[in-house]
Amino acid sequence: MIILADFHLHSCLSPCGDLSMSPRAIAAGLAARGVDLAAITDHNSSLNAPAFGQACREADITPLFGIEAQSREECHILCLFADAETARILSDELYAAMPPVMNIPEKMGDQVFVDDEENILGEVDKYLVTSANLSLETLAARARELGGLVIPAHVDRPSFSLTSQLGLIVDGPWDALEVVSMPGSPGADPALDTRGYPLITSSDAHYPEHIGRRAFQLDMNDTPLCDKTGRADIEAIRAALSRRPRA
Amino acid sequence: MKTSELAAFLGATCVQDRYEDREISGGYTSDLLSDAMANALENGVLITIQAHKNTVAVGTLKDLNAVIICNNRTIPDDMIKAAREEGIALFVTAENQFTVSGKLYPVLA
Repeated sequence: MIILADFHLHSCLSPCGDLSMSPRAIAAGLAARGVDLAAITDHNSSLNAPAFGQACREADITPLFGIEAQSREECHILCLFADAETARILSDELYAAMPPVMNIPEKMGDQVFVDDEENILGEVDKYLVTSANLSLETLAARARELGGLVIPAHVDRPSFSLTSQLGLIVDGPWDALEVVSMPGSPGADPALDTRGYPLITSSDAHYPEHIGRRAFQLDMNDTPLCDKTGRADIEAIRAALSRRPRA
Repeated sequence: MKTSELAAFLGATCVQDRYEDREISGGYTSDLLSDAMANALENGVLITIQAHKNTVAVGTLKDLNAVIICNNRTIPDDMIKAAREEGIALFVTAENQFTVSGKLYPVLA
């Protein structure tokens, strides 16, 4: 079975995300675009993951509970989990490792988390688009230790990417690399060496109109997407990612 | 030194000139935005090669007077637009961060 997936979505919790990006609104946008499997990935926090899970289940979308984590080197790494509780473990560790740079909502944007009926539960005090004091290697190993998928974000972009910060795609436990433009497509950088890792694209949506753009096809073969408990089967997705194009 | 004096002093080009002309409190040089976010000075200037709009967000957070982009890095339009909205001056120069920092150190430190 080939499914449609979007692994990079920001909600109203990200200061740069539009306030209209509630988990429920994101799920509705995904459903309208036929997305089957989707990950919420706010900057350094998973606090909107529970509401996203509920909204996705109601919209018949399989949720992944993710974070776009920022390492000490300022690399953005998508860390995706099968349940909100596991994502929350990494979220709390990132919060503790972030510097005490506080958000200024009126300047930088709101960082609110909500329940599944869009009631605001609270806001995060630290500014979320900063680096946790964890090395790329430590962060990736921790996400894998928690059973997650680990995917460096937008590696072909000039900011917050492996290439912009380190000059190249370094080796790591990457299940895939997210690119904005697949090799050979318009806008793709012919000089980018993705080192043979599987490649995906995703929306990096911060606004409703971007939800589901660049969604990618994932061939699950005959493997069910969910395990017996109804959660996304991370190992089946990992195997499916390994079948994605590598160039 | 005021922000408006930077272009002539450095031989730099001002690419975003809608700003309130204030006295510069000092400078900080870094290409790691999270470091700049923690350590740049309010009403200071940031010397960097990070030519993208996320750098403007640091400027907003730290109330910077100006961002000076080195090595003639291409400044994308959305960075100029963001800086204009925030009233942060943007300069670009062919010189590197070492040279710009060295020129500014005697007058700002």
